[in-house]
Amino acid sequence: MKKDKKIKNQVEEPIHLDIPEDEIWTYQIEGLAAPHIGKPYKHYTLKKIIFAITIIIAVSLSVYFSIRTVQKETFEYENASQGTYQLSKFGNTGYITELDIDYVTEVVYDQNDKNPETNFSLVKDETKKITEIREYAFNCDGVIKVVNIGKDVEKIDSKSFYSCWALERIEVDEDNPYYCDIDGVLYNKDKTVLINYPCNHDNYLREKYGYETEPYRADAGEDYIRDIQTYVVPSTVKTLGELCFSYVNLRNIYLPEGLETIGSLAVFKLHEPKDQYSNIASLDNIYSYRTDSVVVDTVFTSEEKLGEVYLSLPEGLRIIDSDAFSYNQALTYVYIPDSVTFIGHHAFWDTVYKEDGELRGVAQMNSALDEEEFKEKVQEGDQWLPQYDYLLFKKSIDVVYSSERIAK
Amino acid sequence: MSENKGKLMDKVKDFATEIRTHWDTPAEGKYVPYKEYKDIVFAVGSNYAGSKTLEYISFASACYLIMHHYKLPYLTFSVINIINMPLNYISALIWWFVCDNLGFLPKKTERKLNAVYLGMIAFGLSCIFFDWSSLFSQTSTFITYLNGLEGMTAASCFKVFGTHFLYTGWVGARNIFWRKKLLPKYGRYKYSLYCDAIPKCVMVILIGWLPVYNIPDVATRVWVANLLFACFNVFGFANNLETCTKSISPNLQERILVRSYPIKISHIFNSILAIILPVIIGMLRYEWADINVYRFVIPITFVTAVCFTMAFAGKVKERIPQPPIEKKVQIKFWDGMFGVLKNKYLLINTIVGLIDALGNGMLPFVTILYLYTFRLSGLPYSLIVALISFAGTPPDLLSPYFLKRFSYKQIMIFYQLSRAIGNAAIVCAIWFCGENLVVCGTICIVVLFFMEMTKTVPTTAGHDMNVRIADYQMYLSGERLESFASVYGWFVDPIKNFIGLLIPLFLLTYGFNSNWEVLFIDASRRNIIAIPLIVDIIGFVLMTIPYFFWDYDSKKQNMVMEVLKRRAEVTEKKAQEEGITTSGGYKG
Repeated sequence: MKKDKKIKNQVEEPIHLDIPEDEIWTYQIEGLAAPHIGKPYKHYTLKKIIFAITIIIAVSLSVYFSIRTVQKETFEYENASQGTYQLSKFGNTGYITELDIDYVTEVVYDQNDKNPETNFSLVKDETKKITEIREYAFNCDGVIKVVNIGKDVEKIDSKSFYSCWALERIEVDEDNPYYCDIDGVLYNKDKTVLINYPCNHDNYLREKYGYETEPYRADAGEDYIRDIQTYVVPSTVKTLGELCFSYVNLRNIYLPEGLETIGSLAVFKLHEPKDQYSNIASLDNIYSYRTDSVVVDTVFTSEEKLGEVYLSLPEGLRIIDSDAFSYNQALTYVYIPDSVTFIGHHAFWDTVYKEDGELRGVAQMNSALDEEEFKEKVQEGDQWLPQYDYLLFKKSIDVVYSSERIAK
Repeated sequence: MSENKGKLMDKVKDFATEIRTHWDTPAEGKYVPYKEYKDIVFAVGSNYAGSKTLEYISFASACYLIMHHYKLPYLTFSVINIINMPLNYISALIWWFVCDNLGFLPKKTERKLNAVYLGMIAFGLSCIFFDWSSLFSQTSTFITYLNGLEGMTAASCFKVFGTHFLYTGWVGARNIFWRKKLLPKYGRYKYSLYCDAIPKCVMVILIGWLPVYNIPDVATRVWVANLLFACFNVFGFANNLETCTKSISPNLQERILVRSYPIKISHIFNSILAIILPVIIGMLRYEWADINVYRFVIPITFVTAVCFTMAFAGKVKERIPQPPIEKKVQIKFWDGMFGVLKNKYLLINTIVGLIDALGNGMLPFVTILYLYTFRLSGLPYSLIVALISFAGTPPDLLSPYFLKRFSYKQIMIFYQLSRAIGNAAIVCAIWFCGENLVVCGTICIVVLFFMEMTKTVPTTAGHDMNVRIADYQMYLSGERLESFASVYGWFVDPIKNFIGLLIPLFLLTYGFNSNWEVLFIDASRRNIIAIPLIVDIIGFVLMTIPYFFWDYDSKKQNMVMEVLKRRAEVTEKKAQEEGITTSGGYKG
C-alpha cells in the first residue's frame, strides 16, 4: 500500500475503452474536456470578434511600448550638483560627427533641407551647464569624430568614450580648470593623468601630416611609424588612466620615469590593419625615458630630446592593473622594475602565442627582483603572466628573476 | 554472494535473449524493434551533433561570428525584431493553416497562398534593390526616428523590412511545395531534412567565406548581415529525428525508454564534438575570434554530421496513431484557433513561458564566466564544459525511475526552485568573491554541476509533457495543431517582446553593446552578469505557480491514446470499405 502511494505517475495495467464506431469523434474521457471536432462553436462570430480585438489590442500595445522603449533620445541628461547636468547618454542620429559638451543641447531639424547629413542643427540651452559625463555615455558610437569639452565640465569618467571607434580628437576649452588636451588627447589639468587617447586619433594624425591612406602593417614606412604610430607620454604623467590607450593604433609608446600607475586595460589590444580583411596587434615596444626637463611635446622627434631612453616599463612604476597590456602580441620585451608592488589579474594576457613551434611575443617575463623578493613584495593577480598552448593545456611563460634590463 | 552473482548472470542472459528475439520484431505491446534502437543512436546522434554545431551560427549578439567579426550594436537585434513583428503575426496565420493541414490544401486555396507568397518575395526584393525611404521627407518624424534607431538608418530599416518579406514569402512557398511532395513518404517530422540538408550546407560554407563583416558602415553591415542570415535561416536542420522519436511509439513506457537510453547514448557524439571543437579552436591563433572557425571548423563538422544524418534518417519511424491522410480531419482556420484555446495544459505552459521571459535579453552568463572571468580556451574549456554536461547523464539514465516515482507537477516545481537556488548561489559567488578567481570559479563550477545534474530529468519530463499535450490536442480536435498552438504566443509574445527589451537596455547602461570586451572590466562584468540573474531568479520562483494546476496524469494519457487508436482503426476500416487507397495512417 505504502509502495503504491509512492508511485505517483505510472499506470501499468492496460486500459481498454469500449468506444462505439459512431462515437469516436465525440467520446469524452472522464476528467478531461470533451472533443470538439467538426461541430460548430456556440456564439462563433462573437468569439471571433473578441479574439480579434484582444489580439489587436495586445499587438498594438506591444508595438507601441517596444517602439517607445527603443526610441533613442539623442541626448539624455540627469541632474548633477548645484543645478547643473550630467550627460548620461548620447545616441547619435547617425550624422553627428562633432559635438560640444558644455550646455544641455537638443537636435532641431531644418524642414527645407532634404539632406539628412546637413538638415539638423544642435541648439544649446545656455542656462543649463553640463558638469559631468557619465560612464559609457558614448559607448560604441561609430560616427562621432570630435568632442569639444566645455569650460564647466569637472568630471569625466574614464569609460565615457569607451569604444568610440571614429573618435579622433577630444578638445578641451582652455578655461576648463579640471581638464586639458594635448593635440586632441585628454588629460587632467595638471597633466598627471592621461585619460583618453581617442581610438581613431591616428586618422587625425594622418590628415595632419598629409598621409592619404592608412597603410597595412607590412607597408608602413619609418616616417609613418614616427609621425602616426609613436607617442610620447608627457613627463608630468603619473597615471595612465583606465582604458586610456585601448584599441588605438600605436607601435611605440614612450613612458616617463615617474609614472606610477598603469590602469586597467590602459594599453589593451592596440592594433592596426594587416590587410583589407583583418587587423593585427600593433604595439611593438614600450620605452621609458628619464629626463630632468619637462617634456610636454607628445610628438616623437628624436630620442635625444627625451634624455635617457631604455626599453620597457619605467623605474618607479608601482601598479600594473588588470589586463593593462592584454592582447598585444607584437610586444616582445617586458621588464618589471623593482618598484612594482601590484600586478593585476591577466595584466599581460594573450601577449604570447606559438608559431612554427616557437614562442612569439612576450616569451619570457623579466623581473628586477629575485624570486624571494618578488613573492614577498609584489601582490600578484590571478594569471597575470601570459600563457601559451602546451600539450593541449595552457602554460605560463617563465619569469627570469634578478634580471638585468637589456639595452636598446 | 554466489547466488546474487548467478541471478545477475541470469538477468544478463535474459536481456541478451530479449534483444536477440526482438531485434527485428518488437515484443507484444511494444512497437519498436531493438534494431531501430541502434539506428536511433546513429541517426539522432549525427542529427543532434549537426544541429548543435549550427548553434555557433546565429543572428544574435552571442554568436562568436557576430561578437568578433560583425560587431553589431546589441540593441539592433531588438530593433529588427520589432520591425519584423507585425509581419510575423500575419504570416503565422497562413503558416499554421498550411502546417496543421500537413500541406494538403484545396487547389484554389493553394493557388491563392502561392500568389501571396510570390507577392511578398517581389515586394521584399524591391525593398532590397530600391531605397523606399527616399520617398519620404527626410526631416519627417518618421524618418528621423528611423535614423536614430541603434545601428540603423531609415534606408536600412526599409531593407530589413523587405528582407523579412522576402524571407517569409520564400519559406512559405517552400513549405507548401515540399510538404506536399515529401510528407506522405517521410512523415511530418523528418521530411524537411530531405529538402534542406544540401542548401543548408551551402549556406554554412557561404556564411564563413563571404566577407560581409568588413563593410565599414554599421547600418549597411546590419542590413546585409540580416539578409545573409535570413537566407541561412530559410533552410532548417533542426533536431528533427529526435522530435520524431518522441512519437516513436504509442506505448508511453516505450517512449520513455527510447528517450532515456538510445537517445541519451546518441548524444555522446555531440559530447565528443563538444570536447574536440574547442580544442581545435583553441589551437587557432585568435581562438574564438579567428575567422577560420567559420571558414573551416564549423563547415567541415556540419557537413560530416549531415552526411551521417541522411544515411540513417530513413531508418527511424514515426508512429502516431492517426487516420490516413486521405481521411484526416480537415482543420479550418478558426477551428484550429479555438481548438488550441480549449487546451488547458497549453495554457499552463504558456504562462510558464511568459514568466520565463523575465530573463529574456540576458547574456549567456556561463559563456561569460568561462571566457571572460576564467579566460578558458582549448582543452581546459572542453573539459569543464564536458564535465558539467556529463553531470546530467547519470540522472538521465534513471529518468524512467524518477518519472515513475514522482509526478510531473513535482518534478517541474523542483526544477524551477533548483534553478532559483543555483543562480542565487552563483550571484553570491560573483558579488562577494568575484575578485578571487579560484574561489569564485570553484563555487560556480560546483553549482553549475549540480544544476546540470538536476536538469536532465525535468527536461525529459518536459519533452514528454509536450508530447502528451499534443496527444491530448489530437483527442480534442482530431489533429495535433502543433502550429496553431502558437496562437498563445500571439497573446504573450507582445508582452514577452517588451519585457525582453528591458534587460538589454539595462546592459547598455553598464557599457555592453557591440563590443563584448567590456566584459574584461571587472565592475561592468559583475553588473552585467549578476543583476539580470537576480531578475531570472524571481522568474524561476514565480514559474512554480502554474504547475500547481497541472493534473494530466498517466491514466488520462493512456485513455487518450486508446481513443486515438480507436479513431485510426475505425477510419481506416471505413476507407477500406469505401475502396479508398490510404497512406500515412497508423493504428498503433
